Amino acid sequence: MDADTQIGGANARFPDTHLSAISAAASDDAARRRPGQEALIAAYWKPVYRYIRIRWRCSNEDAKDLTQGFFTAAIEKGFFEAYDARKGTFRTFLRVCLDRFLSNSRKFASRQKRSGELIEVDGDSPERIFEREWTRSVFEDAVVELRANFQKRGRGLAFAVFERYDLAESPESYDHLASEFGISPAAVTNYLASARRELRKLVLERVRGVTSGDREFRCEARAILK
Amino acid sequence: MISDKVLARLKTAAELPDLSGTRYRIVEQIGRGGMGVVYLADDVELGRSVAIKVLDDAQEARVLAGLEHPGIVPVHDAGVLPDGRRYYAMKLVRGARLDVVLEKTPHLPDRLRIFQKICEPVAFAHSRGVVHRDLKPSNIMVGEFGEVLVLDWGAPGVGTPQFMAPEQASGEVDGRADVFALGKILEIVIGINAAKPLASICRRAMESDPARRYAGPLELSADIAAWLDHMPVSAHRESVGERLVRFGSRNRTLLALLVAYLILRLIVIFWLGR
Amino acid sequence: MGKFWFAVVVGAALGVVDGLTSWFTPAVRAQLAGIVVGSTFKGAIAGAIAGWFAKKVNSVPLGILVGLIAGLLLAWGVAAMQHGYYFEIMLPGSLVGAIAGYAGQKRQDVRISS
Repeated sequence: MDADTQIGGANARFPDTHLSAISAAASDDAARRRPGQEALIAAYWKPVYRYIRIRWRCSNEDAKDLTQGFFTAAIEKGFFEAYDARKGTFRTFLRVCLDRFLSNSRKFASRQKRSGELIEVDGDSPERIFEREWTRSVFEDAVVELRANFQKRGRGLAFAVFERYDLAESPESYDHLASEFGISPAAVTNYLASARRELRKLVLERVRGVTSGDREFRCEARAILK
Repeated sequence: MISDKVLARLKTAAELPDLSGTRYRIVEQIGRGGMGVVYLADDVELGRSVAIKVLDDAQEARVLAGLEHPGIVPVHDAGVLPDGRRYYAMKLVRGARLDVVLEKTPHLPDRLRIFQKICEPVAFAHSRGVVHRDLKPSNIMVGEFGEVLVLDWGAPGVGTPQFMAPEQASGEVDGRADVFALGKILEIVIGINAAKPLASICRRAMESDPARRYAGPLELSADIAAWLDHMPVSAHRESVGERLVRFGSRNRTLLALLVAYLILRLIVIFWLGR
Repeated sequence: MGKFWFAVVVGAALGVVDGLTSWFTPAVRAQLAGIVVGSTFKGAIAGAIAGWFAKKVNSVPLGILVGLIAGLLLAWGVAAMQHGYYFEIMLPGSLVGAIAGYAGQKRQDVRISS
């Protein structure tokens, strides 16, 4: 797999927590609509891109083009305004729009003819794949923000411990980490607890920014942490 | 990019409750309830194991704290985590879930007695104005000494479709929604090819119109008790044949004596009288 | 009606029925009336013994046994008087006593405790 691109990401978080990005993006007021759309695109760029690559087996360049094309179409054709919160989560709605867009896209169809039939990946449904990639991107962005926050507050050591334990493929034991950093195992426990707490807060804030209300937020929060 | 493995670990880690300022130490996650996650924890002060449930909202703790009954899990302690979530510590139930226990109990009267024990705490809660709303086999535990405990009280309007009474969709529920769920559970308890009176009891508990159901869990339990005693069941109108059979099973000894008399009489008349 | 009298009544009633069944044995059909009367008394007395026992001892199996033995002995007495039909009289007769014994045990005496 080619290297993923860095578009979207950690710094693009919708600042106004009173008005979710979704309702902003659907607003008649252009001053509100623009930032809302940008926030949604930023939040969903990576998941959409990865979804296209995984589910539809496209190359890096093709996936980038299609992602860009999709979001352009979303703005031009007013996908965001068409969302009805009563019918389900925004995430599912977006994926359905995406699948429809891809099936209709001429460029995509010609690419399909070249590469053959669509294959289901490991028996995962499209919904599952999209949810997983969305979760992944939310956590990635939250971790980047966590690092920045902790560095700013002079808590670099706490983040380093967190990085060595929770972000490692095969983490060492507490005792091992304690001796490596020259601190007590109790301190390791504390650093991890505080980093995890902050991570949780950041993850939930991001989810809040792209959900349309309390019920959807609770639903998505549960899904992302399950 | 975060790998799948790391992602899974981060998800669990972000969810772990931070109990560092309390007397509880998390050991591991043991389950996921209606509105929260349940962890096994050590109570370092009292030296025992407890179950810690972390909630999305504070409702359930308040509900449970007001209910004291052997069939309702006792709440020891409650508090607020640093991240704002509420938790409560409750008795760790060592036992098995109802569906597991039923698999190991083939004898129908024993299964029915277990079922009757489920009705008691539910009825008690109703008397205190609390409706469970999410009764199902996975929310019922049978302890090592046969005690029955009902868990996960106060689910906020989100039941389990299979066990949900029709009126729950509109949100206007009272105790009879629990009766419906109990009927569904009873259906599992009695199995297929159950005796007609039991099937009638089930049907009555699961009527779409709440007014036609049993008024409460105790009435349902009473009909089960009647069937166990070979007495007439209120939900079932029996035929003459069924009534006679019931009389026979209720008076087995008498039946045996009468049959013995009849046989002897017949022997005397036909064989010895020749 | 208490245990005692209930057992007596049951014994007598069964005795009547038992006596009537001798109609099926043509050889004794002529003496039907006498047989029925005798059988009734036999049943009543067996019931009395079983009923008295039931007041003293609360045990269904024992009550049945006592009634059975009482019925058997009485029937043997009757059969001895008839010089015959031992089996025909004793076998069913013992069961009449047994059922009367069961009835006596099962009957609830209403007790008023002071």
